Amino acid sequence: MNTTALTRLTILIRRELWESPVAFKWTPALIGGFILLLIILALIIGAKVDNQMVFAIDGLRMYAAMDDSQQRLMSSGALFSIGALFHQIMFLVVIFYLAGALYDDRRDRSILYWKSLPVSDTITVGSKILTAGVAAPLTFLAGIAVTQLLLLIIASAYGLAAGINIFTEIWLPANLPRIWLLTLYGSLVQSLWLLPIYAWLLFCSAWAPRLPILMAVLVPVVIGMFQHFWSFFSNFQLPEHNLLWMLLLRIGQGVVPSSIQWQEIIDESQNSGSYRPSDEILMSFQSVNGYLLNWEMWAGVVIGVVLLAAAVWFRRRATDS
Amino acid sequence: MKPTIYAEQLTRRYGSTIALDHVDVSIPSGRIVGLIGPNGAGKTTALKAILGLTRFEGTLEVLGLDPSKDRDELMQDVCFIADVAVLPRWARVWQIIELTEKLHPRFSREHCMKYLARTKIRQSAKVRTLSKGMVVQLHLALVMAIDAKLLVLDEPTLGLDILFRKQFYSSLLNEYFDEQRTILITTHQVEEVEHILTDLIFIKDGKFIVNSTMDEIYDRYTELMVAPDAIEEARGLEPIHERVLFGRHILLFEDADIDALQTLGELHKPNIADLFVALMGEHQPTQEAA
Repeated sequence: MNTTALTRLTILIRRELWESPVAFKWTPALIGGFILLLIILALIIGAKVDNQMVFAIDGLRMYAAMDDSQQRLMSSGALFSIGALFHQIMFLVVIFYLAGALYDDRRDRSILYWKSLPVSDTITVGSKILTAGVAAPLTFLAGIAVTQLLLLIIASAYGLAAGINIFTEIWLPANLPRIWLLTLYGSLVQSLWLLPIYAWLLFCSAWAPRLPILMAVLVPVVIGMFQHFWSFFSNFQLPEHNLLWMLLLRIGQGVVPSSIQWQEIIDESQNSGSYRPSDEILMSFQSVNGYLLNWEMWAGVVIGVVLLAAAVWFRRRATDS
Repeated sequence: MKPTIYAEQLTRRYGSTIALDHVDVSIPSGRIVGLIGPNGAGKTTALKAILGLTRFEGTLEVLGLDPSKDRDELMQDVCFIADVAVLPRWARVWQIIELTEKLHPRFSREHCMKYLARTKIRQSAKVRTLSKGMVVQLHLALVMAIDAKLLVLDEPTLGLDILFRKQFYSSLLNEYFDEQRTILITTHQVEEVEHILTDLIFIKDGKFIVNSTMDEIYDRYTELMVAPDAIEEARGLEPIHERVLFGRHILLFEDADIDALQTLGELHKPNIADLFVALMGEHQPTQEAA
């Protein structure tokens, strides 16, 4: 890719962030604020019930007495679950963003302004999918990082009160840089995993005469229902490959922080009675790599690329009516 | 030198209706061309074809490029204001300037700022908060700051008040237009553009029924304000149009014998609006006069 295409992509992605500040700026800020508010409320209520803060301080001392791997498991569990909440909401935000991305400017006719600039439809569509798949994970990661930092600072204040070494018992097991790097890597792989769904939304956004989000949902639902009934009434059995079910599986089986490797826990527990899961069980570079080696991942990417090409085709003809 | 716009047998069908019907045209650079026609005549379709916004049959070259294939390259040298108020409403003024600067290699921020400084538009304002006139001023400032070879304006002043419209065309003519550029305008407000046009195209039912320079138009068509006693005689010379103004009959002639007409009343340059009515009207001129 040459440099002009790259600068154009960059400014076009900034354009998307300017257009949807609520989706990409205020939503992560609000989720972070909401989590902190809940925690502060819990601490205030806790302080009312237990004004010596015995529970909190005892809890921290017990935590400090655990071995390193248990500390790592507990702190990464807490930190990843924050990331998971952010990412689930991000998925919803991105669905609505993509459904409108190639539709809103057709509706208000400002597409004519964008078309007056020397920017190819491929770069335009590319900027939208990159905003959903790369820029959104980055702005949400900023929200995750700030929230996690503030939580650890609060925990450290209590840790000081409990007289534990906050560096070795809180900050070191939390290992924030690893968590952030892993969250970023995981969310980018997740974007690739969800590419067929993202591309489908963008495709609907490019052609739907109105209500692209409804089209995007209705088409697979109707096809899925039809498959279901057709198979049921023709063979008296449920279909082997149901589109709707495949889509739900796709969404459900993605990489999300704290998407626990249940199978591993079950297998290990059966092998040895004294199995104690490590923090790797929550999310690890290895488990994320596993997605990249999966054929389903690349089948989805191929479908996604085809749908994106179709979106470009419709975008080119969007003014031809 | 290659013409700015060259079309041969340019045709566009929508189903069974034909929006552009085998149009031939060649527009050199340094012209201001008015494309005038009634609603649904094919004006917008013609502009869309030139801008690569619609498919077409036949040959069309704009600045030597095929708009249906080389649209991205073409847009470096072509600017257009497709309609009033199509700037993205969510954007702030500085954001649009920043975007245009980064996306358009021929955009000059300096020029844009110079034009904007004359308006009341603030950089921090959102487009949705600007009045319709201000949006057009902003769009014009953006477009005039782009060093393009062809500027296409589709009803650029629709819905604006007379002050804005006058200012719009005077900026365009005095500060933007030069020998290297071509401007193509469609509008219903014919009276406001006729003074700035160098060429005139009338389009009706997808066909170009007039396509000539303004000088040729004035040579070819003559308007006669007939002396009251000479009406019948003047009508005998087969005017193509007749209208009545304050009780005076005004007749329009094509390729008329000027010397003969001079004896019948006062001669004027025809105005484009009258010519338009005469050539576009559904009725035959004689029936209308009756």
